Amino acid sequence: MNEALLTLGFAMVTASILALSAVAFTLEYAVTNVANVSHGEILTAGAYAAFLVHQRTGSAIAAAIAASLAGGLVALAMHSAVIGPFIRFGASPTIVFIATLGMSFVIQNVLVLFFGAANVAYSIDPGASRQVGPFRLTPLDGEIIGSAVAITFVLYLIISRTRFGKALRAVSQNRELARVTGINATRVAGATFFLAGLIAGYAGFVLAESVGSFNPYFGFGFFLITLTAAVAGGLGRAVGTMTGAVIVGIILEVVPALKLPFVGYISASYNLAIAFAILALVILVRPRGLFTNARRTVFE
Amino acid sequence: MSAYLISIITEGAIFGIMALGLNVIWGWSGDFDLAYYSYVAVGAYMTLVLTIGPATAPAQYILGLQLPYPLAVFIAVITSMAVALVIGSIALRHLRGIYFSIVTLGAVYVVYVLAGQYVPLFDGYNGLSGLFDPMGDWFGLDYLSYQYFLMGLSLAMFALVFLLMWRISGSRFGMALRTLREDERAAAAFGRDIYRLKLKGYVLGAALAGFAGALFAAYLSAFNPSAWSPVGEVIALYAAVLVGGRGNIWGVVVGVLVMGVGVQESTRWLPHVPGLGELDNVNPQILLSMRGLIVGLVLVLFLRFRPQGLLPERRYVDSQPAALIVQTPA
Amino acid sequence: MSETEPNLALEVRGLTKLFGGVRAVDDCTFVVQSGQVTGLIGPNGAGKSTAIDLISGFKLPDSGTVIFKGGPIDGLPPHRISRMGLIRTFQSPREWPGLSVLENVIMARWDSGRETFRRGVWGLARSQRATSAGELARAREILTEFGLFPLRNERAGNLSGGQKRLVEFARIRMAEPQLVILDEPMGGVNPVLGERMAVAIEGFIAAGTTVIVVEHNLPFVERVTDHVVVMAQGTVIAAGSFHSLRSNQLVIDAYLGEMVPQ
Repeated sequence: MNEALLTLGFAMVTASILALSAVAFTLEYAVTNVANVSHGEILTAGAYAAFLVHQRTGSAIAAAIAASLAGGLVALAMHSAVIGPFIRFGASPTIVFIATLGMSFVIQNVLVLFFGAANVAYSIDPGASRQVGPFRLTPLDGEIIGSAVAITFVLYLIISRTRFGKALRAVSQNRELARVTGINATRVAGATFFLAGLIAGYAGFVLAESVGSFNPYFGFGFFLITLTAAVAGGLGRAVGTMTGAVIVGIILEVVPALKLPFVGYISASYNLAIAFAILALVILVRPRGLFTNARRTVFE
Repeated sequence: MSAYLISIITEGAIFGIMALGLNVIWGWSGDFDLAYYSYVAVGAYMTLVLTIGPATAPAQYILGLQLPYPLAVFIAVITSMAVALVIGSIALRHLRGIYFSIVTLGAVYVVYVLAGQYVPLFDGYNGLSGLFDPMGDWFGLDYLSYQYFLMGLSLAMFALVFLLMWRISGSRFGMALRTLREDERAAAAFGRDIYRLKLKGYVLGAALAGFAGALFAAYLSAFNPSAWSPVGEVIALYAAVLVGGRGNIWGVVVGVLVMGVGVQESTRWLPHVPGLGELDNVNPQILLSMRGLIVGLVLVLFLRFRPQGLLPERRYVDSQPAALIVQTPA
Repeated sequence: MSETEPNLALEVRGLTKLFGGVRAVDDCTFVVQSGQVTGLIGPNGAGKSTAIDLISGFKLPDSGTVIFKGGPIDGLPPHRISRMGLIRTFQSPREWPGLSVLENVIMARWDSGRETFRRGVWGLARSQRATSAGELARAREILTEFGLFPLRNERAGNLSGGQKRLVEFARIRMAEPQLVILDEPMGGVNPVLGERMAVAIEGFIAAGTTVIVVEHNLPFVERVTDHVVVMAQGTVIAAGSFHSLRSNQLVIDAYLGEMVPQ
């Protein structure tokens, strides 16, 4: 029982980080109808920014802020320079998808040029683990989960209570209609990307210190898992995405802890494969609400 | 001929075969398949386990036969086609657009992780090695002559594959694939079995990938997870096909020359630029990253400004003028 | 009605399709006589397009059946139905934009023998492979008939909306189906082209193809059809000649708010 709770505790931390990354990705998708493959690089940028600032200042808070800002700027730049122009040009979502894949590759290589490909160790003293309810968590874990909850709540307020949030919802539901009512869809999208970047950058910082190290490629790996959570929960739907993140987070922690018949223990290095197995299963079996082609004929 | 030139030509020919295969799946059928390179990898891995003989501990891998190289290549290609059939039959049935791409991305990651982590398969991270100069002993070739032989073989195989693609391109089968790319619904309304046709194109492309992989194994003598990555290689291939001219096999050749050889050569002088040379000593990744950077940027730029590529796909041109119509009075 | 009468091109019986809780098509029943032009009209949301999708295999019905050529075709995939001789067009022209106009017409005919991979590799001489000489001649003939000959090498995607519709008609001519369903052919097209289309439809009939036309443009329906079926709220509310339906109260009520020709 203890072990199960321990695992669940870890899962909550993973799920929190995943939830932040996934909700940011969902925001990007909702407002442009584009799956931004360079999303992972926003996290990586956040990690590098945090590390550099932390080295200079020794302050974790400054690092967190730097990560957030870096993420926001990278996301905004991605929208302004690439995604926005492609959409205005009339490119299909698949074409923009390919473009963001290309940009992901470009950013990774830029980071390698500047920082090298090697792993950068980054750790913050997590503090002694304590009993919190039925779980054993460190203060760091608590901060991660707490900040994730707080950010989600603030995001909820922004989307539901502010004028910007209203514009965001309008654009995500029907771009053309929003335009007709006077909303500058491109500006709203850009601002949304900045917001998503702030969240994702912070998630990158948290992920890096949680894992203990990072490199130019680590964001992309996490992006694949993020994608699983976002698609499982429903592309474009924030609540579903959070649920998806929790489920995926739990599965990813639980599976390596299980002793399966025949196979025995599955090491954590299979995480990516497991995440994708889930993803494929979801897309194939429960595509309703995700997209119209599926189930019966391809055309329905 | 310098050894360097020989290797460039050999690699170019192999890369060309890969690009032609990708052109079938993306250029003609219109599916942005991210699992493509896994078929290359399967081709390479299978060729090795069929030629390097039994494993000596502590190495582990499946099969471990010592078949003649051409037979091993044949079996490797069939295996790639089988893997493609599995992945394709799942991904192509209901999925289109980014959902298809994402699932295929998942598939290549699963293959990559399995090949690299599940040791009993292909000895995990160590990979396989030991395929030295296949068929060289048939002709009694020494090391240098063998390089020429492999280059000639690769070029000949590329020419063969090109000829095959040329015939497919001008055939009704090839045109049927293109109707799928242009408008699936209309294709179905006019009698095309979309799923079956796409699957055929997909397996055909994978066959070429596997074939290229088999040649690649002979060229490298080995194959392991550091010889490929799930995404990096496929981006370079897409860049080549897009830049050269998607759907046009001559365009693919141009694309391979420009993006493959061209990028390689134009960045070769980079370490000699003052300042950058020292960087390369400190960070040996510099050249690779610069190339990756250029490839990625070119891909994005062409997508935006010249998506049809340098040599756009050509349509059949009917140059016969209208026949004189003799009007018979009503 | 235990046997299908020999001169019925199509029989639709009790076709039903639900989307969520909405009955898009609700117990829809009608027949189409061979050699005639049958119109399918009704106000927006009547379920006409869904009915066409169900008949042509692009959607699966929840219940009901469609009889074509003596047997049920409901549940068959669209390509199978097409190969049996039932071809449909779509509300917006669906040409193959990257192909030339000529290629569009040539590829309209599904050729089971020559479209295989094997034939692609070993097949006939180059000049014969994509298009046999006879096929090419026929395609040129058809394009001339539709006034598209000068445009034959043009990229089909570059054509105007009206021209694309004509390409669609040319494709149908080439394919020579037993039954063609035209889904709002006048949509987005200059009314001037209407007469040309009417002539084309007459050409289909003359070639032995039965025609179903789904249309909102009522003058056009009057011009081309021999028989009209009226749908509203997913089901058939009336059927008969256009003239007789003009004074049908049910039809008038269904079109409440829409212009009814006097």
